[in-house]
Order: sequence, then structure tokens, then C-alpha cells
Amino acid sequence: MKKLITAIATVTAAAMAVTPVMAATDLTVFNSKSEIQTQFEEEAPVYSELAGVNMEVAMSNDPVITHMGTRYASNNPYVLSMVDAKDVYSLTPEHGIDLADTDAAKDTDYAIEIDGKVAALPFCIEARGVMYNKTAIEDITGEEFKPEDYKTLDAFKELLDKLVEGGMDAPVAIMKEDWSLAAHYLAQVVEEQEDPEAYVQKLVAGEGDIINNEKFNSLMDTFDVLMEYNYAKDSAVNADRNKSEDMLAWGDVAFMFGGNWDWSLIVQSESDSEMGMMPVPQNTEDGTNEKLVGGGSKYFFVDSSVSEEQQQAAKDFLNWMATDPDGQDFVSNTCALVSPYKSNTLDVSDPLSVSVKAFADAGNLIGNYNFFPDDHITKVGASMQKYLGGEIDREGLADELTEYWKGAAVIEH
Amino acid sequence: MYELENAKAARRRKIVNVVMWIVLLVLFLAFIFPFIIALINAFKANTDINRFPLAFIGPRKGFITSNFPTAMEKMNFWGVFGNSVIITVSATVLTLIFSGMCAFVVTRNNWVACRLIFALMIASMVIPFQVLMIPIVSIYGGTLNVLNHRLTLILMHTGFSVSMATFMYSGAIKTNIPLELEEAALIDGCTRWQTYWRVVYPLLGPTTATVAIIDAMAFWNDYLLPSLVLTNKPLYTIPIATQIFYGSMGGSDMGCVLAALILAMLPILILYLIMQKYIVEGVTSGAVKG
Amino acid sequence: MKRNTLSYKIRQYLMFAGPATVLFCGVVIIPLIYGFYLTFTSWDGISTTKPFVGIANYASAFSDGAFWVAMGRTLIYSAIAVILVNVMAFLLAYMVTRGIKGQNFFRAGFFIPNLIGGIVLGYVWKFVFNSAFVAIGENLNIGFLKDSWLGTPSGAMACMIIVAVWQYAGYMMLIYVAGFMSVSKSLIEAAQIDGCTQSQATWKVIVPLMRSSFVQCIFLTITRCFMVYDVNLTLTEGGPFNSSVMAAMHVYRTAFTERLFGTGQAEALILFLVCAIVGVTQVYIGRRGEVSA
Repeated sequence: MKKLITAIATVTAAAMAVTPVMAATDLTVFNSKSEIQTQFEEEAPVYSELAGVNMEVAMSNDPVITHMGTRYASNNPYVLSMVDAKDVYSLTPEHGIDLADTDAAKDTDYAIEIDGKVAALPFCIEARGVMYNKTAIEDITGEEFKPEDYKTLDAFKELLDKLVEGGMDAPVAIMKEDWSLAAHYLAQVVEEQEDPEAYVQKLVAGEGDIINNEKFNSLMDTFDVLMEYNYAKDSAVNADRNKSEDMLAWGDVAFMFGGNWDWSLIVQSESDSEMGMMPVPQNTEDGTNEKLVGGGSKYFFVDSSVSEEQQQAAKDFLNWMATDPDGQDFVSNTCALVSPYKSNTLDVSDPLSVSVKAFADAGNLIGNYNFFPDDHITKVGASMQKYLGGEIDREGLADELTEYWKGAAVIEH
Repeated sequence: MYELENAKAARRRKIVNVVMWIVLLVLFLAFIFPFIIALINAFKANTDINRFPLAFIGPRKGFITSNFPTAMEKMNFWGVFGNSVIITVSATVLTLIFSGMCAFVVTRNNWVACRLIFALMIASMVIPFQVLMIPIVSIYGGTLNVLNHRLTLILMHTGFSVSMATFMYSGAIKTNIPLELEEAALIDGCTRWQTYWRVVYPLLGPTTATVAIIDAMAFWNDYLLPSLVLTNKPLYTIPIATQIFYGSMGGSDMGCVLAALILAMLPILILYLIMQKYIVEGVTSGAVKG
Repeated sequence: MKRNTLSYKIRQYLMFAGPATVLFCGVVIIPLIYGFYLTFTSWDGISTTKPFVGIANYASAFSDGAFWVAMGRTLIYSAIAVILVNVMAFLLAYMVTRGIKGQNFFRAGFFIPNLIGGIVLGYVWKFVFNSAFVAIGENLNIGFLKDSWLGTPSGAMACMIIVAVWQYAGYMMLIYVAGFMSVSKSLIEAAQIDGCTQSQATWKVIVPLMRSSFVQCIFLTITRCFMVYDVNLTLTEGGPFNSSVMAAMHVYRTAFTERLFGTGQAEALILFLVCAIVGVTQVYIGRRGEVSA
């Protein structure tokens, strides 16, 4: 008995002794961009010292909305949370504060406004397009690669044939991940419509006539070409992302559809190739083949239930990140991201972001459509995987999409 | 004649044994194949891992050991290792103490409460954790506000594991502890409490070893529950800290993943190798009769 | 001391089973009841309000076609995995109890997969299936290894089953080893004197006496296979094209990705009931006519 009590007491004491007293952490930040977690963590003590706060950065690999759900269910919200654009609409009406009075909000065109309030501010600009390995292409063709020469699908296909002749057996890689296929590639069908909002309404009403839609066919024509030259053609739905990125980095393939976030993986390959991003080639006259698709990304909102001081500390951080030279340095150099804030004129270091910045600065970005339903990725992604794997043809895909969209729950905005 | 038959049988038996030994060896190699692959690749750069998964030494960047220090630094290895040890050891000890006692009273008495709790415990083994996840955070976080303490996690781990442990102890008590022994102790003037600790518990040693290793492994490796309970960085356990190496979108830092896997596995492997003799004994003597 | 009074019983119970009862109810029973209440609300997991909607969530769970597809898939997966795991475990146990040289080493070795957690294990196997096997196929020119098995629906299912066998066979093997060893030597010797060969002795004498080992192993494998989630998440991610989404994963997605928390919770309860019914029936049938040693 005595022994037992001692044992319990020891265990309890040991557990208590190492449980730190919860000092009021002034600024808790949720980072949903996992590839920059290390940079963020290293910046936290520096910023804490500078601003006289106690900043702590956390991340999670659960879906953003799941993680936020557990935090709100446990009554333990972050002061400052970085979430995806579509989550802003479900989270901030109840949990966010108006950020209109911050300097950061006045310094960007990419803020999200809901009901006249500035609900969230972006961390960076991200865009989608076709990534290329310039070095690998030039090694084969022997001439300088100018992406703007290949904006039409016909010209692009000629180049692919030339690469194959020159010894690159299959010059394309395709990511099979559902988010890439559904939310990044196929989403362009909506985003490149003249009026995306009206088109989505038609889709929901079941009047989208997808199979005869010009944009759908134009983009799927390009996708067919990508599939034809895919290195993993025989097991396309199982291409390993790590391997594909590495092949692009080392020039085993020359092209892959993706975005500037892919740099975080490409950089791990430690290759010396010159790389960049170009618009998705299409046989079209509407100008969409001269633009990348993208815009503000990774949005910060400030929780409304925390103390005034904490809210102010969060706003201060947002202003610092947007307008302070140190903050700008953190975004552009440390994290190598394209800043969405006008006062930040720093050049970025990663080559994909260089392309994105060039397109953004020239006004050549087609905006994101941020209101796809919550199940869009898993369901439409599965349909796209079937197409990629040759299980269904274009008509079958169009049918599945029509079926999916009928009465789909678009995010309220 | 009989002798001859016997010699023949012995020879045949020997051949069968050799064949079985070879089969076992092949199966064993198949079983540890993933670990061998992990071990080889932990010493290679990412580009070599992705492209030459079978090479012993990476053709592009050669043999490297930097994955280990990098992984250790990024996940704050010694800090999270300490947390994991404290949590695993405390929760295991509590589980052993509480479930042994519980099994004793439940097995030796036919009271309503005993039958009820035992039935609930058995039924609870088939509850998917997803069912309990949000209720748990909303009760313990939202209402009681006790998340983010190691003690909370320790008690929760214990709560989840007592059912299985009670079940195993109960089997051992039923089959291995003669009722006469307890009666003799009672006649000698022992209270029930003394009987349990002085007579019964020492005889449950093998089961204790089995339960200890099974639960210690489960606590050491658990991800979902700790990730809900411990959201403050200084409290992270090894599996939560490892998450930093997995990109949320299908791409990951494989070199660090594998290095972290090996680092996380080593302590439990050593514990297992020391205790493995008891595990077989424990299962033998206890768990079978449910 | 009176041993029949209620107060004596209560004191005894609390002294021995009190802590376990409190902790167990605290993390399992109370959250379960609260979760049950949540199935009658249309909570989205984030909002501060939890509107009461009656049995609407159960209605949508029953009409959710994808859920029942996932459930059927889980049944098939569990059936195959349970059989293979137990066959493998039994054979292993048989081989390591014959007194072969190094049998203790083998017993220890086959248990090793249990030492790592489900999430990591899925990642490692994904790497093995996607990279290592494919590389072996390409180097040695073995056709069926060249394309990753995870690329087709039936291949992905096969991969899930292989990993289940790999993960659980060692654990179940130990229980069967215990079963073999609990059958007393004298019984086997008696059988052999009666003219049984060793294999006859095994099949006719030992196996019938190991009934409780079978019941226990099958119960454990059924429950684990039914609730498979970690490996599903990291090994196949439900793919290709959602063809390997198991019931638990579907529940998780409904509750947290689609943010229909009440519906997800209702589906989880249905999963729990199905699993409990299958598990308990198995134990009941298995126990009937048990041969006692």
C-alpha cells in the first residue's frame, strides 16, 4: 500500500514538475504553410524581442479547417491564424475582427472583404502554371528557350516532339494528387470563364453544358497532350510527387503543371538547372494563355475572442510583415515568397517566384475562384484521377462533373 | 523394425525442420524488408532517395549522415524525447497499477457494477477513436480547460488503455491464480488489499510485462490523441514533432522522415529486446483465457 | 467484517476499481454520450451554436451512398485480412514452437512491425511500394513489379491487406504460440503413443484445444481491420480515385472535410455498431462448444 502510494505520488509529481506554468503567451500564430515552418520558428524569438511579445508558431498537417475546428472546440484559438482563402469565409464571420485599420490592409489589393469588413490579409502571392526546366530544354534544342513562343498548344506540342527526338523520352510529369488535378488544374475551367461567378451558378443549376464548354475543351486538349508525354503514362494515377519534382529539377522531364510552392520540394534536389513558370499553353485567342492563375494566398485573420492587447500584437505583426524592411526581408528572402504588399519591392530568390512576381507585377494574373465546395477536391479529384488513369473519357468526365455540380454547396460569400 | 521406423521418422523430422527453418528465414527477411529499406535510405540525400531507392550509397550525393543531426535539430529531439519518456513511463505505470486492481475485483466478484464495467470495457475496444475525438476536445478543452498539460494526456492514455489491460489481467487471474491461495491468505489475516499486493500481484509478473510493453509501444507511437491534447510546442512528443517533415500535400522530406523514424524506434526496440522473453511468457500465461 | 453489506461492496469496488472506472468513463463513456448528443445537431465543428435537428443526421447517413460503399469495402477488406492474418500467424506460431534452432530469435523478429506507429508505417510502406518495388522491377525486369501496385483499385486494396498481414501477424503469432504451449505435453505424448504422427497430433488434438486462441485473435483482428485509418490515410490516401476509402476514413472526411459533424458522428456510431455486432457474434459462435483443456 505504502509502495503504491509512493509510486503514484512519484509519477504525479514527476508529471507535474515538468508541466510548465502556462505563461500568458501573447501571440500564438498558426502557420498552415508547412514548408516555411522552420523559417517561421527561427523568426519567432527575433520578432518577440523586437516587438516585446512572446510569439509562438504552430503548424499542423491536418486539413486547415479540421485543425481550426479542434482549436475552437477546445476553446483554445490562435491569436493569429493563417488559413486558405475559402476557410476565411467560414471562419471569420464568427471568429474574426475587422482589419481595415491596419497599414497592411491599405497596402494590398488582395485582402478579402466580407460584408464591408477586411476579414483577412494575405501572406503571399501564389500562382499556377507550367513549370519548366530551361537548362534541360536548351541542352536538347541548342537554342534559347523563350516560354512566350510556346503559348499555343500547337507550338508547345512541336517543342515536346523535338525534345523526344532529342532523347528526352517523355518530357512531361503530371501530379496525380487530387488537389492538383481538381483545385489547381480543372479549377481553371471556372477561373478562366469571362464571368466565373455566373458560370458556377449555371453549374449548380445543372445548366453548365460542360462537354460543349469552350474553356473545358481547350484545357482538356492541353491536358491530353500532357498525358500523352507523361513519363509515368503507364501508372499515371500513382506518380510519386517527390520523384516527379526531382525529375524536373534534374531535367529528366522538362515540364510539369504546378505552382511556385513546388520550389520547396525542387530545392531539396540540389540541382543547378535554371527553372521558371509559364502559362498553360492553349489554342485560344482569349489571352488566358498569356497569364498565370493565382493571387493572394495563405490568409491571416485575427481572433475576436482574445484580449485587446493580443489583437493589437497580431495587427502589429501584420503591419511589420507588410511594411517594415525587416518584415519584408523575412517574407521575400527568408521565406522566398512573393509579397502581396505594394511597398515591398524586394526581389525574390526562388526562380519560380521570380516568374510569378513578373506576371503579377505586369497584372497578368487570373484571379482564384475561392468558393469551391468543401468536398470539391476529394470528389472532383477522384473524377480527374479516373480520367488520368484512362478509366473514363472526356464525355464521362463531363458527366461526372455535371452530376457533382448539381446542387453543390458553394461556399457562402 | 521399430528402431528402423524410428530412425526414419527422426530423419524425416530433421529434414522438415531444415525446410521450415529456411521458410522462416525467408519470411523473416520479408518482414524486416521495409526496415532495411528505411535504414539504407536514411543515409542518403533526398534526390538519391527519390531516384535510387535501392542504392546503398547515393550515386549523386554519396553516403551522408547529415539527415540525423538535421532531423534532431528540426524536431528538437532531446526535448520531445524527454516528453515522450515521461508520458510513456507514467501512463504505463498507472495503467499497470489501476487495471490490475480493477481486474482483481471484477474477476473475483459477481456484483452488478463489476459485470457492467467489464462489459463496457470490452465493448469499448471496438469504438473508433474518431467518435470520441471532438467530444473529448470540447469537454476537456472547451469546458474544463485542462488541455496542454502532460498530466492530462497521461490520465487520458491510462483511461483508454485500462480496458484492454483489465481484460488481460482478468484472464491471467482466472487461469493462473488458484482461489485457494487467496483464501489461505485471508485466513492468515490478510485484508483483501494485502492479499492482492502480497499474493496475487507478484504472480501476475508475466502479464504485467506483456501489458507494459504493449501499452508502452502504443503510448510511444500514438499520434492522434497527443496531437489533440498537447498543442503547445514545448510539450510535443516524438510523433507530433515528426510531422514537420511531412508536407501536407504529398511531398515530404524523406531523408529526415526516415532518420526520425529510426531515432523514434530505437528506444522502444531496445526495450523490446530486453523484455521480449517476458512477452512470450506473459501471453502464454495470461491472455488466452478471456 | 461483514462481506455482504452494500457498503462493504462499494468500498471494495472503489478501492480496487475506482481509479480505472473514473478514468475509463472520463475518456470513453462520457465523450461517447456527448458525441451521441451531437448527432442530433447540425454543428459544423467550428460554430459556437449547435442547432438541434432531430434525426436528420441519421437520415442523411443512411442515404449517403458513398458511406455504404466504403462500409462494404471495409467488410471485404476485413474478411480477407482477418483470414490471411490468422493463417499466417498460425503457421508462424506452428513453425516457431517445434523446437527449431533460433526459434526465440524468430519470435522476436516477427513481432518487430508492432514497434512503429500506423502513420509512419504507412509512409514507409508507400515508399516501399512506390519506389523500392518499382526499382526492383525495373532492375531485374520483373513485369508485375514495374508499375506500382498502388496505382489500381485492386492493387491498392491488395497493398492494404499486405500491410495488415505484416502489421498484425507477429502479434497474433504470439497469442497462438501461447495456445500451442498451453496444451500440455502429456496430452500430445499420449496421442503419439496412441499412434498419431506429429502432424496428426497437431490437427486432431492441439488445434481443437486452441479454440480460445482463435476466438481472441479473430476478435482482435476484426476490430483492428474495421477501424483501419492511419494506414489508409498515409498509404493510399483513399486513392486511386477514392477506390480505397474505408469506413473510418469516410467518417473522418464527412465530419472534418465536408464539415458535416453531426452526420459524420452518426456514421461513426453506425460503424461502431456494425463492428460490435460482428465482433460479438464471432466470439459467441467461437465460444459455443468450446473444448476445455
